[in-house]
This record gives sequence, C-alpha cells and structure tokens, in this order.
Amino acid sequence: MVNLTIDDKQVTAPKNATIYDAAKLNGIKIPILCHDKKLKPFGACRMCLVEVEQMKGRQIPACTTPVTDGMIIRTSTPDIVKARKMVLELLLLNHPIDCPVCDKGGDCDLQNLTYEYQVNANRFTDEKFHHEIDYNNPLIERDMNRCVLCGKCARICDEIVSFGALTFISRGIETKIGCEFEDALNCEFCGSCVSVCPVGSLLARPFKFKSRFWALTNKKSVCSYCGTGCNLTLGVKDDKVLTTIYDENQGFHKGQLCCRGRFGYQFINSDKRLTTPLVRKNNVLTEASWDEALDLVASHLKGAGASAGALATPRLTNEELVLFKKLMETAGSANHDHSAGYAHAALTEGFARSFGTTASPATILDIQKSDLLLVIKTDTYETHPVVGFEINMAVKNKGVKLNILSDKSGKLSKLPDATTLIHTPGSEIAVLNAIAKVILDEKLADGSAASIPGYAELEKALAGFTPDAVAGQSGLKATDIKQLASDYAKAAKALILFPAGNAYPGHNADLASAAANLAILTNKLGKEGCGILCMAEKNNSQGAVDMGFYATNGLNASQIIDGCANGSIKTLFIAGENPVVSYPDQARIKGALDKADFLVVSDLFLTETAAMADVVLPACSFAEKEGTFTSVDRRVQHIKPAIRKIGQSRSDFDIFGALIAKLGGQAPVAPSAVFDEIAAATQGYAGMSYAALGEEGVFAPVAVKPVLVAPKAGAVTPEPGKLALVTGSVLYHNGTLSQFGEGPMYVCPEGYIELSRSDAARLKIENDDLLNITSAIGSVKLKARVSPRMPEGVLFTPYHFGAAEINQVWTGAPITWVTLAK
Amino acid sequence: MNPITPIINGLKITLSHLFKKPVTLQYPTERPKVAQRFRGLHALNVSHNKAKCVACYLCPTVCPAKCITVEAGEDANHDKYAAKYEIDMLRCIFCGYCVEACPVDAIKMTGEFELANYRRQDFIYTKERLLEKK
Repeated sequence: MVNLTIDDKQVTAPKNATIYDAAKLNGIKIPILCHDKKLKPFGACRMCLVEVEQMKGRQIPACTTPVTDGMIIRTSTPDIVKARKMVLELLLLNHPIDCPVCDKGGDCDLQNLTYEYQVNANRFTDEKFHHEIDYNNPLIERDMNRCVLCGKCARICDEIVSFGALTFISRGIETKIGCEFEDALNCEFCGSCVSVCPVGSLLARPFKFKSRFWALTNKKSVCSYCGTGCNLTLGVKDDKVLTTIYDENQGFHKGQLCCRGRFGYQFINSDKRLTTPLVRKNNVLTEASWDEALDLVASHLKGAGASAGALATPRLTNEELVLFKKLMETAGSANHDHSAGYAHAALTEGFARSFGTTASPATILDIQKSDLLLVIKTDTYETHPVVGFEINMAVKNKGVKLNILSDKSGKLSKLPDATTLIHTPGSEIAVLNAIAKVILDEKLADGSAASIPGYAELEKALAGFTPDAVAGQSGLKATDIKQLASDYAKAAKALILFPAGNAYPGHNADLASAAANLAILTNKLGKEGCGILCMAEKNNSQGAVDMGFYATNGLNASQIIDGCANGSIKTLFIAGENPVVSYPDQARIKGALDKADFLVVSDLFLTETAAMADVVLPACSFAEKEGTFTSVDRRVQHIKPAIRKIGQSRSDFDIFGALIAKLGGQAPVAPSAVFDEIAAATQGYAGMSYAALGEEGVFAPVAVKPVLVAPKAGAVTPEPGKLALVTGSVLYHNGTLSQFGEGPMYVCPEGYIELSRSDAARLKIENDDLLNITSAIGSVKLKARVSPRMPEGVLFTPYHFGAAEINQVWTGAPITWVTLAK
Repeated sequence: MNPITPIINGLKITLSHLFKKPVTLQYPTERPKVAQRFRGLHALNVSHNKAKCVACYLCPTVCPAKCITVEAGEDANHDKYAAKYEIDMLRCIFCGYCVEACPVDAIKMTGEFELANYRRQDFIYTKERLLEKK
C-alpha cells in the first residue's frame, strides 16, 4: 500500500494502482471517457488530467500514471477545469449535437460531462464528420460521426473478446474506428463494444428507439441461458424487458456478456408466449381455466405411482426442481430426470465416483489464476462464451498456457501460443488415458498419488494406452501426447475444462473420470488455479444435480421415454424440456410421447413437445419469478421478479405447489421457505438464505474425496465411405430457448452442417448448398457451411433448431456416421 | 362619515358602467380574442410535410401530469420519428412545459380552448389530430 494525498485528503492505495484507481477507491471522482475497469489503461481522452505537486504542476493523465508514495495530487484546480473544458470543446467540435435523436442521450458520458462542465458554447468551428453509418447487421449500429476515439470498443474486442473486429483506421483528423478493409461489421456480436461506448457511436439495434435510458428501471437478475451464471441488469419499462444494461461492477465477469445474454432477452416478452392453460378437447388444444387444467392434471397424477414420470429442464430454479420432485413423490413416483438422462452423467456418475461429489472442484475464477489450461473441445468457447472470455484474458493478460484437445479447431485455437491437438472424433478419453499413462510411466505423478484408492487398478487398466497405441487411434503424434502430459504434470497450477450438455453425449462419466485421474495423479486439486471444471449446459444444470433431480431410485430420462413407448409410463409431466428437438432420435421420442396416455407440458412457448401434449400450462420466465440458480462452479445466485407475470402464466413453483395441494400434500408458501429446506439438506448449501446470497451469490464449497477410476474408452470404428457427424452448440444459441430470442436468431437463424474444405472439394459442395444428411436412422436437409476449422472426414452441426431437427439422424451416440448428398 | 356616502359612491360606479362597453362576451356568438401566449390545445409543428417531432421523449419526461405518450419509430432512412404521439387532454394541466422542453420546436400551444367532448375516448388527441392545421 502507498500513502498519498488527493485533494488534501490522506488516502492509501495499492502499489500497482494508477492515480485514477486510487481516487476512485477513495470516493474521489475524476472525469474520464476512455477508461473501463476491465481494460488496460490507454490515456486517449485527456479528461482525467490532474496536477501532481512533485511534477511541478504539470498536468498529467490520472488513468495512466501509477501512484508513488507521498504524491500530492489535485484533481480540480482552476487550470485543470480549464483544460478539461478545452478537451470537451474540441470533442464537441466534431461531435454532432443530435442528442434528441441519439439513443445514448441520458446515458452518455460526453453529454454528462458537457453538462457538468457547462460547455455551452464553442470557441472553434469545424465541419462535422460525414462518415457512412453502418446499418449492415441487425444487432450493432456503428455511427462513426459520433465517435470520440476513446478506443474502448477496439480494446475490449481485442483484450477480452479476442475477436479484433474493430481498430483505429487512418491518422490525424481522419482517424476513425473501422473494421477490416473499412468493411461492414461482421463479428460474433457479443455487443461488448456497445456496452463500453461512452457516446452513441455503437448502439444496440434491437433496443434502438424503444425507450429513453432514464425511463428504464434497472432490475438485477441472472442470465437464463448457459451455466456460467452471468449477472444481468434488465432494463424494464411498463412491465416489459426492453434491453440489458451494462454495469461494470456486476458479477465476476464485470458486466461482460455474450451475444445471447446481451441480445437474447426478447423471449421474455415475446408475442409467442403462452398466456392461458390449454387442454386438448376433440384432439385440439383449446383454452381452459387454470382450475380445469390443474384438476385434470391432478386427477391423472393422483395415485399414479410408478406409472408417472417427470422430465424437467435445468432452467427451472432450485426451488422449483425440489418442488417438482416433491410433486412426483406425492404422486408416488420416483421417475424424474433432466437433460436426456445423460448430459449430467459427467457430474452424477463421473465426478461422483472420482471425487465422491457431484460438482466441479474448481471455479471460473481459477481460470485466470492458473498456469496451464487443458480445454477439452474448442466448443468450450461456444457453450460458455463468458468463460471463453476468461480464457482469453488468462492467455493474453496473464500468460497462461493454453492446451486444447479437440475434434476440430475453433476460436480458442487462435489464441496466442495455444496448442491444439486435433484428434479423431470420439478418441478424447483414450487420449486422456494416454496422458495419464505417460504421467505414470515417466514418474510425473505426485508423491501422494500412489496412496490414493484405485491406483493399482488404474495402472493395470492403462496398460494398453501407451502414447504410441493411442496416437495411431486418435490421429495425434505420440510426442505431442507426451509433451502435453509433461506440460500438464509439470505446471505448478493446471486446470481442466470441458463442456457437457445434450449435444455432447461423448462427455460422459468416463471422460469426467479420465480427466479427474489427471488432476488426482498430479495433485492438481483443491488449490487455487487447479482442478476440473465441468461446464454443464443450462443455467441451472448444476443446481438440478445438486437438488438430486436425476434418476436415483427411479427411471432415467431414456427409460421414461421407453416406458411411455411400452405403456409402463402413463402420465408424463414435462416442465420446460423440449425433447422432440433436444433429445436424440426424434422418431423414438415422438413415438413414445404419442403413446403416453397423458402428457402434461409446462412451458413458456407452444414448443414442438407442447404441441403434442394433452394439457399445456403457461409457465413464467426467469424474469417473472423468484428463486435460485446454481452456476457450473456452484455459485448460488438469487433472482427476483423483474416484471409481472405475462398473461395468466404462473411460475412452475406455483404450478407444482397447486398440484401438490390438490393431491393432498402440503404446498409450501414461498420460494424462500423451500430454499431454507434446500440449505439445510444439500451438501455445501448450509447456512445459505436469500439474504445471505446478496447480489453476487455465494459459492457452495465442494469437498473432494479423490478415487482413481479406470475409465472405459470405447473404440471408435469408422464406417467406410461415411463421415463422422459430431453435434454441438453454436455460439449464439443455448438449448432450444434461444430460438425465441430475436438477437440470436438474427445472427444464426437456422441449422447448418459444417464440413472441411477438402471434403467439400471432394464432394463438390459449396457454401449454402442444401445437403441431404443420411444416417442409419433417418435423414435431414441442412445448408452446407464450408469451414477451414474442420478436419477432413468430420462434420459438425448445432442441435438447437426446431426447424432443422438434427435428431432425425442423431441417435445420441457421440459420433453419427452419415453420408452427404446434394 | 355620513353612512349614505359609500352607498352613493358605489351607485356612481354602477351608473358609470351602464355607459361602458360590457365585459361579458355573448359566447358563442361572440368569440374572445385569445392572447398570443395563451396555452390552449397543443399542435405539432410541421416542416417539409412531416411533423418536426423527433421523438426525443423530453416532453413525456417533463410532463407533470404524465399525459403525453410517445413511441418512437425508425423510418426508412433509419431516422427517428414519433410513430405514436398522444396527449390525454383529460389529464393535461396546460402548463406548457412540453413546449418549453422541446429541443426542436416541434410542439406549440394554440389558442384553441373549446375542448369539451361527449366521450372520454375523444379526449385522447392522437398524432393526426395534433398535427398543425395550415
């Protein structure tokens, strides 16, 4: 800590702080346009000029000057105020005064400073700029006439998003922010540039002209897409969520969001939302009253016993999941599961046997504190983009070494010094086993490893996984595997990350155990920057596991579906899931749901699954209810209603509560009461309450009892003449919900199939050709996308889209062997 | 003082008024001459054949009676215009803050004061009704 004086006030600040940081830390405001907490100091705007007595009264920028002991700083002498006014005058010389039509009005740093410093007139005259405004994409409008050249957009795009879409172009008075070759903006549309723009140069088009900033009420919430658990501020007006608002102080990610988080909120107030219960009469879904619908559901659940089944989406709150379980218990059934029954297996089976717990022994905060990251699948960036930003920052700012094991390259492989080992699809477990084998053979294991249960068995089981044997099978070089093993083992701190979800059936219990073995063998557990992070797909996937909402005594999702088909499950209650699109093998799912005697679906929308139901109950989105979500690193966060419930919709909490009451059970009064029960009963949640969670949430600690487990690595046998189709998530979507968010649909409106250039050349396929993809179980038509990132013989397709249901060809195997035809 | 004097003084004034022009207007046959700065019904100024209003939302923000509803729209040139501009005359208190707040001189208050109507709905002045008559 350093002692210094700012404006006659004795203050202390950390040694590495700048004058600006030190002032802010001590509640002294210095005006600035080009600074953001997350970005490196830049010193572009010259608004933060201060005087330092030791520097003989020179005016120096506060944002780039580090503090030194005994500094005497003045932030607002008449000379400085004069200089700042001059800066503003010069900025306003070229900045158009179109505040009435500028969407930034009311939230504009330049406007606020102009008002604060009373710059009413300008001593200079000059022409305004006449740059062409970029309206070429539906999400971000770029009006460079308003730009003050603070460079925040270019810096955030480079430093955090690592896309580099924007940069300074030209010199002197002609300087502007532009894209490559002065072309239109075409990036991943995370909107980070929009969030930091101090003026109205970069604007969110979905929100354009919808409301003035001052008319919005800011409601804090948690994003309901992926499991990262990003905090959101929703801009609400007249009970409508109109936008998301940037708050640099929010969450571990400091307000940083991805495309779907920032631009995918429209599903909340979508016109397509269900507003009344629907009951099937004469084979048509007709509007009904809540009493009628709930009575009908209750009559089928009452005494149903094991003939009732429940499938939930892990987007429900913890409280709702517990209540759903309780409802099924009241009906006498233990058949409940989520995410197709396999997407959580890495946690519920893999980690359960390797770590004795069903949670990841690492947090997202460990990423930047580590020395080496081992990322399994480049898809990690696509499934959890904000975790991807953390990886970007770790690699670019902290010099963390990035190793990727993947079946295709991706954005993460482009990071500086990233090593990507591209293996044949489905061989990741074998490669991890080979790494473990190298660690054992080359005595790289930690001294404590031999005493861990399962060591001898593992050693025996890994006998066949020599780097040379695995190299042949996986298409890697044995030396690369050895190198990775020694890098991982020798790093002081190393963290393994892998995504899990419906689209990643290969990321199963064995993969989790194989990865766990590496961490256990090298003792990279329970320390800062070490561990394994299994990143489950949905916002409350970890919560669903923590609440025990998976098959323990009853049937799992797959068995429930089979049960419907063979008649043993008569009543199926689906809350929020859309199995027809998101579960593998559509024909099987549809056939089973058709056969179910009574199908109840509670959802926001009339999804493909809801359309098949006998009763459809309109549920609420996350913005309308109270509860808790648990992120992938077990941060439990509290959400509160931001708007009133839409139409007659009710939260799943109320629906389950009402049904429990109708079945003669005791319905809980409020989510808080249920959360108190959860806190008392769930490992790691002890002592939590809504009040204790606060705005940032609280981590539920993970206690690890390591056991070495020999993972099974199933051999992949290629089918001659066929290509390997792997499924996955695309950056703009998450599950099937994002189809109702306008932003994601603007950027990625339909499914596609990605193939390598060499395959495309061989099969004479060009971009946007409509291809017929045929597997053993069916065929589907998708547009081709030829991409340099795909290795030969491998195809990739995202699974989110109801209009292009790839589960017509996909059986749930990690790899589907398909043929392509035009 | 003689108690009769004030009465006589009063009658004098009364008598003098018998020979003056009466203050009372024979409304509606006779019309009052409204002052320039009278604050009556609003009108939206027109320029280049369209409303000058750019939907900046300053008038609904400043309005103490919250009687103005504006909804902005984006026209073919990506410019902002008032897709909806409504004033609820039942709520309006004719304070004129909207005129004062307008940065583009798009709204004014006319001398129109006959605002009575039969139905509540008729007191909602839409953009079409408010556009300046020329």
